[in-house]
Parts: sequence; structure tokens; C-alpha cells
Amino acid sequence: MVRAVVLLAPGGPAPCRVLYARSFGTPPGTGTGTGTATAGPRQRLCRKEQLLAVARQVASQCQLLQSSLGRPSSPQLPQLPDEPMSLQDAPGGLFQMPPGDPFPERVTVVWLSVLALTFALVCEPQENLSLAEITLRRLAPRLLLSLRLLGPGADVLLRPDAADGLLDRLLPHGQMLFLNERFLQAVDRELGIKASR
Amino acid sequence: MGDGFCRVPRRGRGAAGPGWSRRARDVHGGCRELPAAGEVRQPRGQRHGALGPGRGGWRGRAEREGGEDRHSGPQLPVRARPGARLRDSPDCPGREIQQEELRRFAARVSALLQGPEPGPEAVDGLQRLHLTVAATKYPRKLDGEFVELLQTVLCSPKSPEQIQVLCAAILREMSPCNDLILSCDEIQDTKLLSLVSSVLLAQGNKGEVAAVGQRVVKALERRLPEGQSARFLLPVLANVLRLSPGSLTEEQIDVVSKKLADWLRYASIQQGMAQPSGGFFSSPRTKQPAPITEVDGAVATDFFTVLSVAQHYTQDQWLNVQTFSMLRNWLLCYGGKELNTLNPGARAGVDGSETPPVCAAGRAGRPLPPRERLRDKAFEYCQRLIEQSSRRPLKKDDGDLQKACLIEAVTIMDIICKQDSFYVCRAVSCLKVLHSRICGDGTYARALLPIAQFFLNHSKLAAVDSDAIYKHLFTDIPAQLFHNPSLAFEFVQFCKDNTQLFTDSSSIFRQSFPNLFKFLAWNSPPLISEFVDLLPFLLDPDTTIEIFHLLLDLPCLTAALDIQLRAAALPASEKAGADPAGKPATCLEAFRHPLYKSLFQYLLRTKAAPEDAPESLVPLRQLLGSLAGSPRVVQCAETVPVLLELFFRVVAEFADGSLINQLVVLLLQRSDQLYEIPAFKEDVYRVLGSQLATLCGLRPALLVELSTEILEFSGAVSNIQSKEAIFTHLAWAVGEFLSVSHDKRCTVEQITRFFEPLEAVLFEITQLRPQASTPSCAPRAISVLMATLTKLAARSQDLIPRVSMFLSKMRTFVQSPAVTSVYSDEDLEEILIRATELMNLLKMPSVAQFVLTPPVASTQFQREVNDSLPLALRMVTQLLEPAPGSMPV
Repeated sequence: MVRAVVLLAPGGPAPCRVLYARSFGTPPGTGTGTGTATAGPRQRLCRKEQLLAVARQVASQCQLLQSSLGRPSSPQLPQLPDEPMSLQDAPGGLFQMPPGDPFPERVTVVWLSVLALTFALVCEPQENLSLAEITLRRLAPRLLLSLRLLGPGADVLLRPDAADGLLDRLLPHGQMLFLNERFLQAVDRELGIKASR
Repeated sequence: MGDGFCRVPRRGRGAAGPGWSRRARDVHGGCRELPAAGEVRQPRGQRHGALGPGRGGWRGRAEREGGEDRHSGPQLPVRARPGARLRDSPDCPGREIQQEELRRFAARVSALLQGPEPGPEAVDGLQRLHLTVAATKYPRKLDGEFVELLQTVLCSPKSPEQIQVLCAAILREMSPCNDLILSCDEIQDTKLLSLVSSVLLAQGNKGEVAAVGQRVVKALERRLPEGQSARFLLPVLANVLRLSPGSLTEEQIDVVSKKLADWLRYASIQQGMAQPSGGFFSSPRTKQPAPITEVDGAVATDFFTVLSVAQHYTQDQWLNVQTFSMLRNWLLCYGGKELNTLNPGARAGVDGSETPPVCAAGRAGRPLPPRERLRDKAFEYCQRLIEQSSRRPLKKDDGDLQKACLIEAVTIMDIICKQDSFYVCRAVSCLKVLHSRICGDGTYARALLPIAQFFLNHSKLAAVDSDAIYKHLFTDIPAQLFHNPSLAFEFVQFCKDNTQLFTDSSSIFRQSFPNLFKFLAWNSPPLISEFVDLLPFLLDPDTTIEIFHLLLDLPCLTAALDIQLRAAALPASEKAGADPAGKPATCLEAFRHPLYKSLFQYLLRTKAAPEDAPESLVPLRQLLGSLAGSPRVVQCAETVPVLLELFFRVVAEFADGSLINQLVVLLLQRSDQLYEIPAFKEDVYRVLGSQLATLCGLRPALLVELSTEILEFSGAVSNIQSKEAIFTHLAWAVGEFLSVSHDKRCTVEQITRFFEPLEAVLFEITQLRPQASTPSCAPRAISVLMATLTKLAARSQDLIPRVSMFLSKMRTFVQSPAVTSVYSDEDLEEILIRATELMNLLKMPSVAQFVLTPPVASTQFQREVNDSLPLALRMVTQLLEPAPGSMPV
């Protein structure tokens, strides 16, 4: 299962920015002092901070990988290329976050960097990481397309419904799916988007 | 105020240009969540700490300017019109204004939602509201009534789907939410039930999770109304499972297990029909449904799985996919529980730790209980997937899915065998065949890990020899595929999950550490923390020395791996090209050159080989010097100090005297033989220096036992300049631990033996060097040398006049023009003060001996007292010289 999805702009020399984040459910009992007036806001703050911590770590891993590949990450956003892009060679990786920092349990983060944006899945530790990578490679181009992420404007911030719609099909409630190409095409048909590859 | 422009046009009117990211960065410091990118530039006075309550990215004042909020449509609290200015008025604290504006905006959205047909304007309003709520990590208070309306709209069957999705998104974003009246009890539509569940599951409330679980199971138990699909419910159930596994009763687990088994095993093997799209060209065709096919296009001969291909899929085929996707977690959660309760006597081989499985025996002829039946179907499914994964896919992406399925199938088989050893024999034979099929194909390497895990868990029970499997995994895979980051991560994870394997020093696992370090050398950023966990398990007295060398050579290993990769990519014609007689011109040529071949081979060895170590790797380090600047090598070099410190910490726990001595000698030797990266060397010297002092403290006897090596090192002035950290720590350790209180062998002769070379060094750098205008030595080294000589003199009092005279000369030293041009005034003053203090101390030899040769400390408190030499010195000085600052004449 995936705990959360984070979409961020790692930002090169600038601080990273979270553009979209979605947690799939909150494990009960994580908020301290449940029942008190401040418990709710604190629980929400904790959730937000956890995702920020993931984002920061992803951004730094992404920058380190880019630099080890000899490609300094550019702060400028390139335009979405007209032809479908291949994500086979897109830089990405996996890392683990230890228990207690920032989540109570150990998590594995799988990330993929496409142009100036990075997509990350926060997975349960024993998750099938090959499937997580496949899921990410499928989500990324579709999110780019439906949020018009690389186009002008900043629709990503104002189209949570588009992102949610995609996630509901490809990662419903954080459940990764073993979808073969034909199933994927069916999902795309349901979503009304043309196959992006 | 002047920079408060908001230049982003309304959506749909045109482009804001690529500057959005830049502007967002201007506004928000640190890693921001959902910055209102491109929306508003915050007034200057409020930039710092933009995340605080009332200071979020949302600034809505622009809209009030020019009376824009008189417009009937929803206005833009987060966006402003081109050219509009933000007024930063000091008398309006942000919070009240925002709260008020948020309330007004919510009221407008509320009116739109309650209108006859909420349309694009309502969508727009909800989207903006979502951004407003999401953009800050602090709570945004929305009116209770409004929150209620959001829930009503969410649950209303008349609401357009997009609006429902947005309402759910806002409610999730606000969660945990006090004003929640939402319940999924009455919802019949499965899609809506899933959406509402997403809000309820976000509350972090056990009761809500359980309620959702109950509702979903109830829906699954009954026959769903026409047009409704369980497809939307299974992921909800999977999430309930993750969040609170105790939400289902035993009966419910059985009911769902039965359903899952059916979906898994008995999905339709005919293709689904196309949904009539209603388009111009679509005509309702009445065709016989075609059979499903395999990924290679052949007609399927067996039941449906996630690797079955069809033009269109039926609902039960979708359920098949979802069932398999959640199967692993379901089995982990509920698969094994029944074993304790259900007719234990009736089954052979349950919980196989007791009874070895009878491979030939079947269990035909009796109906299985639901959970056992699910295991049975799941096992068959996994077997079929393994068979299907051998087919050549028509679509490349299906090839990736095949591999992911294979990993899943093997993992599920492992789980099933843990729960019921009845399956072990079948699984073993199936996985042996699978292993021999895929072990030669590098693209399947990741699947080898769960296979190895399976054999680790079960080979004892099945009495099969699986050493060949482990040997292949630990010998060939890291050496060939170290550059595959996903494999590297999973491999190291595998090692971490099975650390018990590394306790047997003769094992394949223990021997393979040089191979494991290749993963780290190539992928250091994501793996460093994993290796911090793993390293202690690799270290024991037998491996210490080899791992010490390996750590120091880690960046060099990265460079060698780079060459290995490039050499492998060379066309065959060039591979043999190098002339064995001449000297190789490039690293790539050297890789196969007889002069370097064996050095490369040693550095790239696949298993521990302490006896094969070449005389020296110096030529190889020099050869690879050209790669020292490569970013990957530099990144790897940065991990070495962390691991070195850990290394010494762990080794100190088990090392005996001879191992410590061996390490100290090596440490001094290797300080001359490091890969040429200046920052790396500096860092390594720092760690080695402090660890050297620790080792001396751990075993003071080594000073006497290794006096030759130590004196050779500390007698060389060049070491102060090139390896100050090591030199200074060593000199300090001599002063601190060369004492009869630590080692009976520290006779006056021994002390004089150490004293003389150190005195010569200090003489050279303070009395000779100023004239020679050579580069300066660290003031710390001078200071430590003075202190060490004084300490030794206090223990062998014949030396006191020599030291006193020496110290008295320091005034001349600090005043010489050659010195003042090189050292800072502060440093010189410190040196002079220290010299004065030490000299004063030596005037009272018995006090000096007491102060400078403290007893062997055993408690933390004593150690701290001993560490405060400067304090003691100052105290003595004050006693002797009531007027401070008296300098030697």
C-alpha cells in the first residue's frame, strides 16, 4: 500500500516546493492527546510536516542523483515536449526513512524525476517496489498531462480534482494495481485521456 | 510595498509564463507546502515565516481594491487581477482579515453550491477554497454550516462528480474535522461510498475506520444493485486493513476470504464487451465474446490472471486484478490466524515447524475452510503467474509487469508456506525451476531476492540445498548489476532483513562484503543510511582489517567501477587492443593491461580475500586520479568519514590488543596512501586523528609497543603540515598516556625516547622555520607539542630545564617578523599564554606532576576533570602570579 503521493518541484538551488500531496487515510492513534481541542490541528500539522520531510529528502536525493549523472538540475521549467516522452531513462530512485523520522513506522520512498518535477510515493516498507516504480511511471505522464504541469500557469494548485481522479483509478485508496497495458488503456478510456505513449 | 504586484491573470485568460515557479520561490522560505505559486507576491514586511497562522500564502486584499468584490461571480481570494496591488496596511493584522475574507468567500461558494445547478463557477470556487485550505499547515477555520454543506453536497446523488470530488478533497484536507456528520451507512452507490470513505479514513479515528470496514464488508456480502461494482470497494477494504486490521470480525474475514478466492480463481475467461460510446460511428455490434489471450498473443488455456489480455474487461476481471493486488496484505493480515482455532487435528503439516511436510500427500476430497481455500487458490494463481511470466510479451511495458508479478507471486508463495507448510514442497520445486530459468537474465535480478528469501525461510524444512542460489546471488549479481539503483536498494534491504546470515563468518554472505560495498560505492546517497545499519553486522576480528582498507579505498572503488562499466561497454574489437609492452595511456586501457589488471581485479574482488592483497594499490590510486573529480566519486568520498567513525566505534567493542595495534600501524601507514581528493583526505585525517587518540586511550600500552612506528610518524615535520589532525592527536596521546600510571614499561628511558624527537620537531618549527619562511604549522599543533613536552618533563624531571628553556624562547618566536606575518595575533597570544602557564607550572615540579599526570580515570566525572587541563593550568598560574599576564622574560 502507498501511504501518500507527493508532487514537488525540487528546485535546484532554491528550496523545494510541494505542489500536490495526498495521504491515503490517517492511521488511528497517531495524534497525541486525542480528544483535546488542539489534537485535531496538531494531527493535521504532523501529517503536513511528514510530507514536507519526505519532499525535502526527495529533493535532496534528486539533486544528488542529477549531479552524479553530471546533469546539474536546471531551475527553469522546460516546456512539455510535443512528442510523447519516454520515462525509461528518467532519473529516479528509492530510499528508506527510518522509524520515527518522520513517520512512526519505517517507510520506503520511491521517486521519479520528470523534467523539473519530481513524483514520489511513500510506501509501506514491505511493498513491491517494482510495482511502485511501474505505478509511478504511469502516474507521472498522466499527471503532467491532466494538470498541465509544464504548461503556462499553475493549474496544478487549482486542479486537485484532476489529480484525485487519476489517483482514484491508478492508485485507489493507495492500493497499487497490477494493471497490464490493456487494463491501462481501459483506465485511460474511463478518464477520457488519450494514451500518453 | 512596491513589490506587491500580483501579475497572474485569471485562469483561462492567458499565460503567466514560466515565471510562476520563480515567484513562488521569492515568497516562501524553506520547503513550502502548496505555495500559492504565481498567485500573490507577499508584501515585504510579511515574508518571513510565511507559514505562520495568518501569514499563509493567501492574501485576498487585492480583490477588494477597485470594488471587485461587488461582482456577482466568485472572486479570487488567491489570485488578483493583473496590475492590482496588495496594500500592506499596518493597522490590519493579517489573521482577522483573512478569516473574514475566507468566511465571505465561503459564503459565496455556499450560495453557488445551493443554487439550482452548481456549474463551473462553483467548481472554480471549490478549487480555490481547496488551495486556501491546503496551502498552510495550520488550520483554516471554515464555518460549521459550510462544512456541513460540503458534506451534504458530497453525498447528494444529484451533485456532479467533479463537485463531489472537490468537496471530498476539501474535507480530507481539513481532516481531522470536528464538524463531521458524514456516515457511509446509507450510501448505496459504490463509487460514492469509496469517495466518502476517503474522507472518513482521513480522520485518524479508529471508530470511523471500523465503521467504514463494516459498511464495505456488508456491501460485499450482499448482492450489489444493478450497475454497482465491488470494484470501487476493494481498495477501501485494503486501506481499512492497513489502517486498522482489527476492524473485521472473524466471520467477516471468512466471508471476504471466500469472495476473494472466487474472484481470484473464477474470473470470466471471455473478453468483455465494449461499452457503446454513443458516438457517431459506433454501432451496437452483436459479436460473440472472444477468449482472453496471454501477453504473447496466444489464446489463454487456463484461468484469468492479471497477465491475461483482452480488448475489454468484465467487472469480475477487474475484481480479479484488485484481489490479486491486495492479496499479499490480506494474507499477511488474516491468512494465518485460523490455524490456532480451526480443527488442528484434521490437517497434516500445519505449522510445519513441528511436522515435516509430506510432499506426496494431497488434501483432496474435503472442502477447505474459507481462509485455507483462499490460500489454495492464491497458490494456484501464483503458480500460473510464474508460468505466464515465461511468455514473451507483445508490449514492452507488460514485460515490466511480468517481473513485478513474479516478485509478488514468489513473495505470496513464501507467505503461504509460512502459514501452511503443506505447500513448501510444491513451492520449492516450482521455484527451483523458476530460478534456473531466470538466473542468467540480468533483467530478472530483482526477482532473485524473494526467491532467495523463500529458500532462506524454507529450505531447512524442505531439506533442499540452496547454497548455489545464495552463491549466485551474492557473487554474480552485485558484481554485474551494482549500477542498478533499485536492485542495489533492494539487495541491501535484503541483507538488512537477514542480518542473522552474517553471523557465521564462513558463510557465503559474510565473505561477500567486498561485493556489497560496490552497491554503496556506486549509489552512495540513497544507501549510506542503510550501510550505517549494515556495517556492524559485517565487522568481526577477521574482517576488520580488510574492511578498514575497503572503506579508505571506497572512492577509488567507485572510480574503478566506472572504468569497469566503460570497459564492458567497449566493442569487442577494442577490448583486446592495449599493448602489453607499453604503458597504458588511459584508465580504460589500463583496465586490461597486465601492469594494472591484477590491481583492478583485487579492488573489484567479489569476496573477501585478505591473503590476496597486493603489495600496494598506490599505482592504481594514481592511475584513477583522473576520476577523482567525478561527482559520483566525490559523493562516495563524502560517505567515508561517517562509516569510518562507525567502524572504529564497532571495532572498539570487540578488538583485542593485537588487533588495536594492527589498526594503529595501518592507520599511520594508510594516512599516506589515500585517494587524491583534498576534501576527502582532510575529512579522513580528522576522523583517523580522533580515533587514534581513542585507541591510545583504550590501550595505552600500544605507545610503548609501537614506539618505532609512532616516533617515525611524529618525528616528521612534514606530517604536521600534511596530516595535522593525526599528528596533533598522536602528540596529545603521547603526552596523555605515556605514563607509568598507564603502563609499567614507561620508564624514564622510554619517556626520554619519546621526548627527544618531539622536542626536535617543535624546535624545527618554532626555532628554525621562521627563518626558512616555510608554510606555517597549525597553532594547535604547536600548543599540543608544548603541552606534551611539559607533561613528559613532569614525569621525568631531568627534562624540566630543557623544556623551561624552550618555553621561555617562545616570546622571541612570537615576536619574530617571519612569524607575525604568518600567524594571527590571537593565535600567537594563545601560544604565548600557554607557554607561560606551562613554564609556571614547571617551576613547581611536584605540583606539575600532580596536575599533568592524573591518575587513571575510571568514571566520567574523573575523565572530565582530567580533560580540563587548561583550567588547572590557569589555576596554578593564578596561584603563582597574582598579577595576570606576566610573560616570560
